[in-house]
Amino acid sequence: MTLTARPDRLFIRRHARSQRFVLAQITAPAADRRRERSAVNLAFVLDRSGSMGGEKIRLARRALEEGIRRLDSKDRFAVVAYDDAIDVVVESTSASPEAKRNALAQVARIEARGSTNLADGWLRGCEQVARHQRPDEVDRCLLLTDGLANVGITDRAELEKHAAEIAMRGITTSTFGVGLDFDEGMLEGIASSGRGNFRYVEHAVQIPDYITSEVGETLEVVARDTTLCIETEPGVLVDPIGPYRSHTSGTRTVVELGDLVSEQHLDIVLRLAFPYGQVGITTRVRISVTDRDGVLDPTPVEIAWEYADHHRNDAQPRDRDVDRAVALQFAAKARQEAVELNKAGQYRTASDRLASVGRRIRGYAGSDPELIRLAEELDEQGVAYAAPVAPGMLKQHHFASANVRRSRDASGGVRRER
Amino acid sequence: MPRPWRDLLTLYCATVKICQMPDAADEYTLSDLAELADVTPRTIRYYIQGGLLRSPDVAGANTRYDEGHLWRLRLIRRLQREHLPLAEIRNRLIALDDDQVRTLVGGSAESARGSAVEYIRSVLTSRGVAAQSARPSAPCRGSHPSRPAPRPPAPVAGEAHLAAVGGASSAPPPPDRSQWERLTLSPDLELHIRRPLSRLDNRRVDRLISIARQLLEEVP
Repeated sequence: MTLTARPDRLFIRRHARSQRFVLAQITAPAADRRRERSAVNLAFVLDRSGSMGGEKIRLARRALEEGIRRLDSKDRFAVVAYDDAIDVVVESTSASPEAKRNALAQVARIEARGSTNLADGWLRGCEQVARHQRPDEVDRCLLLTDGLANVGITDRAELEKHAAEIAMRGITTSTFGVGLDFDEGMLEGIASSGRGNFRYVEHAVQIPDYITSEVGETLEVVARDTTLCIETEPGVLVDPIGPYRSHTSGTRTVVELGDLVSEQHLDIVLRLAFPYGQVGITTRVRISVTDRDGVLDPTPVEIAWEYADHHRNDAQPRDRDVDRAVALQFAAKARQEAVELNKAGQYRTASDRLASVGRRIRGYAGSDPELIRLAEELDEQGVAYAAPVAPGMLKQHHFASANVRRSRDASGGVRRER
Repeated sequence: MPRPWRDLLTLYCATVKICQMPDAADEYTLSDLAELADVTPRTIRYYIQGGLLRSPDVAGANTRYDEGHLWRLRLIRRLQREHLPLAEIRNRLIALDDDQVRTLVGGSAESARGSAVEYIRSVLTSRGVAAQSARPSAPCRGSHPSRPAPRPPAPVAGEAHLAAVGGASSAPPPPDRSQWERLTLSPDLELHIRRPLSRLDNRRVDRLISIARQLLEEVP
């Protein structure tokens, strides 16, 4: 495992609350091929509402079949299908060859029917996993939908809260949205609060690949429930810039990163605000990672900032890699906000949001070509967002930004090298 | 504070109480306790008879169990996982008061929050969706020929039946509900339930499911 942490600048002003950014980078260790991997305990929750009829349900069934085939007898799986009725199609079972055969037969019977009780279907799937939780396994619920939750709990904040509570108790949730009609904000919110992954499945034909990719990830988890811990001296404010949930208690901030997959790479951006100080004094920040099972090396890395006068502050070099990582995070966040605003018909606000972040970035871009290009892209997008944007394009932009924020590639997969 | 604000505050507090899960007084009926602890009511009665749990306050329809019972059930579960025999578990529990049990079980932040099963069931219960029975359903025997699942029959007969059994249960369900849940009791038997049900009917359904499963597992 490697953990590095780099500041954008190393001097801070004594008479102003200096704001500095840190780029923490984690590379998870490689899975030890000589040792048995952890068992997984999964629930597949499948939307079989009427709109899933035809190709979508057929491909979803195939995705389930392929996902189940990848498991072996030390793993468990369950299948829940929902429309306005919830069916536990396959009760949680260990993935023996006979159980898999029976399950495939049951899955083949799932047909598209009614409306969409996403919440109860998902909770039932989580319950299937929860009833058979064991230590040292990866517990995850995979939720696939093509539409809006229109029966049962439909409030996004409530669903996110439940996802967070269930994740705290060891079961993560990953979500898959198919087509144009689902609510990407809600699905990503559930996955984010649930410490799992969100994927936009633009075309039904991608369903099997995305599902098996997610199953594959669970089979390669090397560290569960990882967190980045930041310890500072009193008076320093830590603000993680990114989609991860975090809590601060005293001088300690913890950022929840979810499960890490073999050799996965993560970039995490932090904003720090320093109190007043005296020239020559240094203030230290220690950054470390932990995980539920103590697999990751907890040795912290340390950054020391020095209070200095204006001259030294103005003249100090900037770490451009950090600047770029910071800019990407702010840009991605603004883009997701612009998607929501454009969807809601607030075109002026959407456009302004993008333009203002573009301006900010240009402010510290200097002559850096990447930052300049990013600012230009935001300007262009700002113009486009001043009018209604097609739903498919909105979903593409939303997904692309979600992936940037979580250091994932264009299809939502894990990044394994810088 | 002025009267209208006080009324508003009282209303707010009352609303918060209703929304709390589980019951704000931290007392449970037998079936609520069973759901939260992920055991059957029969098991709880067995533990009481065997001296692992103390008898609850009152008896009959108003029997109430408290948090101490829930903590003890969790501790029993944990000790069972460590392969202790029940006699040994009883000896240990007898020696502990509720606070000590709570400390043992609530040692880590995780245990204090309760398990995932407990949380999920408390959400489903508060929405009138019955949790799955603690016993696993019968395994699927062989594959079945493909056949589309039939829509459940019109609700009228079902409502009349429940009303006949219940007597003074809740008011008839509103006509626009259409959420049916199917529970598989065996490969050839299903129970169709229209949600949401009243708490009383939920408990009846749970009993029905336990009895059905016992019947189906009997060897003729």
